[in-house]
Amino acid sequence: MTKPVRLILAAALIGLAIWGWRVWFPSPQDAIRSRLLSLARTVSVEPGEGTIPRGLKAQSLGDYFTADVVINLEVRGFDTRELQGRDELMQAVMGAMQHVRGLKVEFLDINVTLDADNQTAVANLTGKATVEGEGDFQVQEFNFKLKKVDRTWLIYRIDTVKTLSHTTAFRPSHV
Amino acid sequence: MLPTYQDGGVNLVNRLAYARSEPKRGDVVAVRLAGQSVMYLKRVVGLPGDTVAFHKGHLLINGEVVAEPYLNPGCDWEIPPETLAPDLYYVVGDNRSMPEKLHEKGKTPKQRIVGRVVW
Repeated sequence: MTKPVRLILAAALIGLAIWGWRVWFPSPQDAIRSRLLSLARTVSVEPGEGTIPRGLKAQSLGDYFTADVVINLEVRGFDTRELQGRDELMQAVMGAMQHVRGLKVEFLDINVTLDADNQTAVANLTGKATVEGEGDFQVQEFNFKLKKVDRTWLIYRIDTVKTLSHTTAFRPSHV
Repeated sequence: MLPTYQDGGVNLVNRLAYARSEPKRGDVVAVRLAGQSVMYLKRVVGLPGDTVAFHKGHLLINGEVVAEPYLNPGCDWEIPPETLAPDLYYVVGDNRSMPEKLHEKGKTPKQRIVGRVVW
């Protein structure tokens, strides 16, 4: 084996090792992003998706939240709503999922800030929801607060961010 | 931003517009949410320090009615006066025939303004 071939092979192996390391041991930020993207897929509903798959997806939501999760929703044009606890959340989502023909949920621009202890984090993101059959979509900025429980990042609080309601000097919106 | 810009249209934003200057009243700007994948298109109507209000659908800046020829008729908004902090701009869309409670509008710092909409 010639020297250039050995060098190329070595570089490829190093690249593969780095890729493998990142896949098996993602940074907390990457792990949280991946988790939130998975949550968005879970709450999305394909058109024509049956009642049972929808119910199973709603049940699996429990894997993403702490038992005492608090969700505070203040969306323009809708009543303010606070959900307390995983059970109430799952019931609300299950009810909503049964009533839409199709729903695509996306979490965009996920900015993760880890707290000093590396056990809690805030993810500031834009949620985008497109209802099947409607040309328009809804967007809303959120702060998701997560904590690490048994090596898994769980959401313990979600707050809507009023993007156009700043009252003081600018700070990052998750502060 | 109807009627000025249509839903689903493609717009060009000059990101350097405010590198060396400040947003002006009447500018249509792109305001970011968490990032720049989705942005609001809004018109700057209030500058830092201004007192902004709406009465019978008319925009009032520092107590004076501001002419807005770009609007369609049919606005009936009532919003009490509010003085903007030294670093905040008041932005609002042009589609003001919709109910005020459904219209996304309000105060934003310059850091959230990505640029000026060219077309």
